[in-house]
Amino acid sequence: MADAAPTNFHDVQSPEHFQSLLSQDLQRISLINFWAPWAAPCKQMNEVVLELAKKYPQVLVLQVEAETQADIAESFEVEAVPTFVILRGHTLLGRISGADAPALTKAIAEHTRSPSSISPQSHTDRAPAAPGDGTAQESDEELNARLHALMSKERVMLFMKGNPDAPRCGFSRRIVALLRDQGVQFGSFDILLDESVRSGLKVLNNWPTFPQLIVKGEFVGGLDVVTEMVENGELKEMLES
Amino acid sequence: MISAADLEAAIRAAIPVIHLEIEDTSNGCGENYAVFVVSEAFEGKNTLARHRFINEVLKGQIAQMHAFSQKTLTPAQYQAHLAKQAA
Repeated sequence: MADAAPTNFHDVQSPEHFQSLLSQDLQRISLINFWAPWAAPCKQMNEVVLELAKKYPQVLVLQVEAETQADIAESFEVEAVPTFVILRGHTLLGRISGADAPALTKAIAEHTRSPSSISPQSHTDRAPAAPGDGTAQESDEELNARLHALMSKERVMLFMKGNPDAPRCGFSRRIVALLRDQGVQFGSFDILLDESVRSGLKVLNNWPTFPQLIVKGEFVGGLDVVTEMVENGELKEMLES
Repeated sequence: MISAADLEAAIRAAIPVIHLEIEDTSNGCGENYAVFVVSEAFEGKNTLARHRFINEVLKGQIAQMHAFSQKTLTPAQYQAHLAKQAA
């Protein structure tokens, strides 16, 4: 190499060296380049890796000669060279086999695009909020508008726990079976994924439980009601009108 | 814990009852109930209206249960139901 290696670039000498470099910053993205001097493609990819190291100083670049550092290579199940492994701390983000410079460059660009290159000011162990929670407070009018839009999404809408192919409660499972048995086409919404829809619908429809069946934007009932409506012909009448 | 007697008393106090069946579906734990009510009070009410009505009558009790299910018929519907079963 003609230039001096950049400071984020390390030629790994031992498993301990490897571990100590990785453990210094568990938020840092690292690129591990498993190579061998006898493999011609590695020569070219090593140059690509060096360029990437210069371009992305926030990435920790670790060059590991796969045969001399057999333990490390084995722990990553490296069977061929070159192999590239991308980590954040100890977490595997991606893996590229073979001398695929475009794929490697793209992967590095993608993983460094996020704020991971900025050191966080705070940490949280909480899982991200479920979709639909929103960061801004939804006003009552906004929620109501959203509920009405959801209820009218299809002619027959089922608000249930889970989804029709994987119901998460016995009552939801039974109402799905009933609707399918009756040949009713319906859309569905998993209320387990959205707390505000779950509680909002209970209030709007004045019905304390799920599943809830909606026809033409109007609340029809839960499992019991729908079961009875199938028996007395009310459902058929409603769907045909 | 809610007893079947509690439920029966509440229903009979609210509406005239031709036929009433109350089943503890929690195997004696008093947590899940299924009721079958036949009453002329259901005439002219569609299924949802009948169920809402019973939910209201048994509001306090249902709040203490884990599961509640109901079946509601008018006297005429009940007669038809019996006839079908006998056939």
